[in-house]
Amino acid sequence: MNDRLKLFGQRNPYDLTKSQPIFLRLMRDTIHFHRDHCPPYRQMLETAGFHLENLTSEDYLAKIPVIPTLYFKRNRIFSIPEEKLVIKATSSGTKGAQSQVGFDLKSLLTGILMMIRFFSYHHILSLRPTNYIILGYEPSEHTQMGAIKTAYNTTKFAPALHRAYALRDTGTDYELDIEGLTKTLHRYAQQGFPVRFVGFPSHMYFLTNTLKENHIQLKLNRHSKILLGGGWKQFSNEEIDRESFFQLIQETLGIEKTHCFEFFSAVEHPLPYCKCGNGHFHVPIYSRVIIRDVSTLQPVPNGSLGLLSFVSPLVLSMPIASVVTDDLAVLHDGIQCGCGIKTPYFDLLGRAGVSQIQTCTTDAAALLGGKK
Amino acid sequence: MNLISGRIMPDEESKSQLNRLPELILKTHLGEPLSIPRVIDACDSLSLLLNAEDHLDLLVNLGMAKEKARRELATVKLMLSRAYLENRLNAEFGEPLDEPFPPYGYDQPVRKAWRPLGTLLHIAAGNMDALPVFSVLEGLLTGNINILKLPGKDNGLSIALLQQLIHFYPEIAGYVFVFDTPSTDLDAMEAMAECADAIVVWGGDAAISAVRKMTKPNTRIIEWGHKISFAYVSGLDIPDEELDEIAFNICDTNQVLCNSCQGIYLDTDNFEEVVRFARRFLKILNAKAASMPQPEDPYLDAQITLKLTTEELEAPGTEKLVFRAEHCSVIAYEDPTLHPSYRFRNCWVKPLPQGKLLAELLKYKNHLQTVALVCDLEKKAVLERLLSQTCVVRITSGARMSTSYCGMPHDGEYPLRRYMKVVSFED
Repeated sequence: MNDRLKLFGQRNPYDLTKSQPIFLRLMRDTIHFHRDHCPPYRQMLETAGFHLENLTSEDYLAKIPVIPTLYFKRNRIFSIPEEKLVIKATSSGTKGAQSQVGFDLKSLLTGILMMIRFFSYHHILSLRPTNYIILGYEPSEHTQMGAIKTAYNTTKFAPALHRAYALRDTGTDYELDIEGLTKTLHRYAQQGFPVRFVGFPSHMYFLTNTLKENHIQLKLNRHSKILLGGGWKQFSNEEIDRESFFQLIQETLGIEKTHCFEFFSAVEHPLPYCKCGNGHFHVPIYSRVIIRDVSTLQPVPNGSLGLLSFVSPLVLSMPIASVVTDDLAVLHDGIQCGCGIKTPYFDLLGRAGVSQIQTCTTDAAALLGGKK
Repeated sequence: MNLISGRIMPDEESKSQLNRLPELILKTHLGEPLSIPRVIDACDSLSLLLNAEDHLDLLVNLGMAKEKARRELATVKLMLSRAYLENRLNAEFGEPLDEPFPPYGYDQPVRKAWRPLGTLLHIAAGNMDALPVFSVLEGLLTGNINILKLPGKDNGLSIALLQQLIHFYPEIAGYVFVFDTPSTDLDAMEAMAECADAIVVWGGDAAISAVRKMTKPNTRIIEWGHKISFAYVSGLDIPDEELDEIAFNICDTNQVLCNSCQGIYLDTDNFEEVVRFARRFLKILNAKAASMPQPEDPYLDAQITLKLTTEELEAPGTEKLVFRAEHCSVIAYEDPTLHPSYRFRNCWVKPLPQGKLLAELLKYKNHLQTVALVCDLEKKAVLERLLSQTCVVRITSGARMSTSYCGMPHDGEYPLRRYMKVVSFED
């Protein structure tokens, strides 16, 4: 069996014992591939003075030139001819530019294998017919955000009987179709099949809060689940603590905390991270997390705040072997968590940026009458 | 919090007051007109109240360096003083119009007079400290009734200052209606707009477009939009001192203001020269930045690092070079397209030969504002003429880019005049 299948097909996605040497070998192969097939990437390796033959220990992973996700929003860069890409996606684009990413068949199949292993481990794959509430817009002509596609794809983790969309697109904003939703929820509850809610935490909070205000209490099938991802985005001022949030879900829908899952991923780093029972994102064997100094991008010790960056050999179509996101985070030793998973975990601590925009200088988009 | 007819009230109560707003405004109209000398008195009293002992820490707590806070406080004190305001009114309006005169070719003597527009709705979409109060003050100085929609994250400063003014001149209470309504409450926004003769809007293109969309044709819009400013440097033997002034503006304002220097255009079409200049300016800027430290902010540093790293990765194969120093950066571009900097002491240098100046800058129309012009004396007149053919409205030195003077036009206009109309009377 080749290294890719061994790493991404391993049953326990958090068991480092067997996978460590494979991971390093795969990283070398992947960077080798990008170096040979992507001239701008070769240039980056040369500029950084990176020597592949030195990549013999995990300590050296941090030396791989690290590319900000912003780079992919501004540049199209591939390691295989674009006509060989089998799937294309854009980042959610809630604000600003979107990344254009594409995957080849080999990366895609490896990714699917990884997803199956990862979600089986977390008991999210199921054969029970399921009704879905998607906390997003119904896909329409003017909403092509990646988040909607992601939400839709998530409805494939268990066979879908029916999909209902909770948000109505008003053209400029969204509004919760509370009346339609209550009807659907009552119908789902009567049918007795498991129900899954998929979407942003802020939307889930909005939904459960509205249910509570309208004194609606449901007892959904005990196999029902809440699958959340994507951060709190523009609703951050309404963020409530996790425990009260799960309490609210339990009260209004009858779904236990252990059936609520929070995920993290990025278009430029399409790997899954899932919060454990203690609310921590443990790093699966498919990647390594490096927290980098906010000024120098050099690695910082565990426990220090810095930019969240990832190293992974999953993707061959684009040189995203080492990327740095615009999230700030802290990495901790796995044993500090106590949930049983031993790999290191990270806590997200906000986005890079100006804390409070106080500016009256024109922004780039505005300069030429709104066109870029 | 809301401030209606001099009373602080919670949101629920202000909503019912909003329904009564036409009635309240009519009541003010039926009463005594505002006395401008007494408004000036009230401002002067407020100015005398401000002092370093009590108020410096307030500014320092907002993240301002002590030296800058001292300057800002002195500026505000000056701008509220009687002498300043009297001079300002005089500078903006000139001699009073009262005297009747026979217009040329007309058989009837005519008298003209400045009168307030009536009711102004101020929308301070940006979140510059104290900006909403200054906007309302300009409305009061011109005798207008003022409705103020507070910006999203108001820190209570606006209402505190307006209450103080009302304390000094109680009749102002009928001329000030402050609502803490979110911009998303369209019904409330429309109700306020319905009462206004003119809407004064401060903000970016999005805010201005939203106001233009919402406003009926019978209501004036007075726009104070976001602008972009830069330096234009011509000649190779420019002394360091002049560049030091530009560096001062960049560090002093962190490039967040309309009149902050975003970057430097060099009068050349030679990229090598741009690169040499960028290296030289980096040293000057870094020394200045080191002497004007700012509070640590890992989130801001992270954002700038990501942007500069991306620029560096893009640089090979393109005509741009990134120069980084400990406290700042300078990016040299071959492309003359005007764009904002990454702010916070990160600027650009671009080539823009005199012969291509108009072709490049005319495109940006109303978005241009201040230019720091650094050049030999003999070139000054021709460069001034070229720059004033674009929408640039102020040409000054690097050090003064963000400094105002009494009676200075704002974005090419006299603000107080915009809040008034000229009424013509005939017997």
